[in-house]
Amino acid sequence: MSIQGTTGPIDIAVSGMRAHGTQMEVISSNIANARTLDNGQGQPYRRLEAMFRSEDEGVGGVVIDQIAQDMSALKRVFDPGNPKADATGYITMPNVQMPVEMMNLSIASRAYQANAAILKRYQAMVRTTLELLR
Amino acid sequence: MADSVSIVDLLQAGMKAEGLRQKAIASNMANIQTPGYRRIDVKFEEMLEKALESPGKASVSDIEPEVYQPLNTPVRSNGNDVNMEAEVGNLVKNSLRYTAYVRLMQKRFTQINAAISLRG
Repeated sequence: MSIQGTTGPIDIAVSGMRAHGTQMEVISSNIANARTLDNGQGQPYRRLEAMFRSEDEGVGGVVIDQIAQDMSALKRVFDPGNPKADATGYITMPNVQMPVEMMNLSIASRAYQANAAILKRYQAMVRTTLELLR
Repeated sequence: MADSVSIVDLLQAGMKAEGLRQKAIASNMANIQTPGYRRIDVKFEEMLEKALESPGKASVSDIEPEVYQPLNTPVRSNGNDVNMEAEVGNLVKNSLRYTAYVRLMQKRFTQINAAISLRG
């Protein structure tokens, strides 16, 4: 556990912006593939979740540890006309839920803004210190 | 002051390096969508450390900041490894350091000016 020098808050804010940017990428992948029945291996798309991990113990930034698949049950929808339908007329749909994704999108976008605000505010703080040198 | 390295030389070298780094960041930002582009950075601090460790051998004003490709950031599918947030962070740090150097330089010249005007 260590506290870095004057650029610490900048690096931490940037790590937050990067992580939430990646999370937004994951969410857009989920939304784009909400009705994808084939993930390339014949299986329906499974919702992805970005797992965050802190960079160091104590004071430090955040990194995306891994992007894991959501293993919750896939939706079964009755659609006998679909070429992918099984013998009983059901198709298996991805486990993406639009309201959940939209809420995560709001959270990710707000978190990104918060990190950008930290960056801006810290920059203003250092500028105040530099003004003392005038 | 029996310092072997003059403050003005030191600040000048720093400002030169930060100016070049600003260019490198601008190049990275401009090439954010260029396929196969790897981000560039400026090597200066290590060279400065070496020059300061061996006084007399290498002068601070002789240090030429070096542009290099770090090749240590994750590469996207189009072979490009520029991350906009990271570049913005570097830009902020760079500009703050540059401001600090300019202010210190200004301070130094004010001191010299004060010493000169004592004669009048």
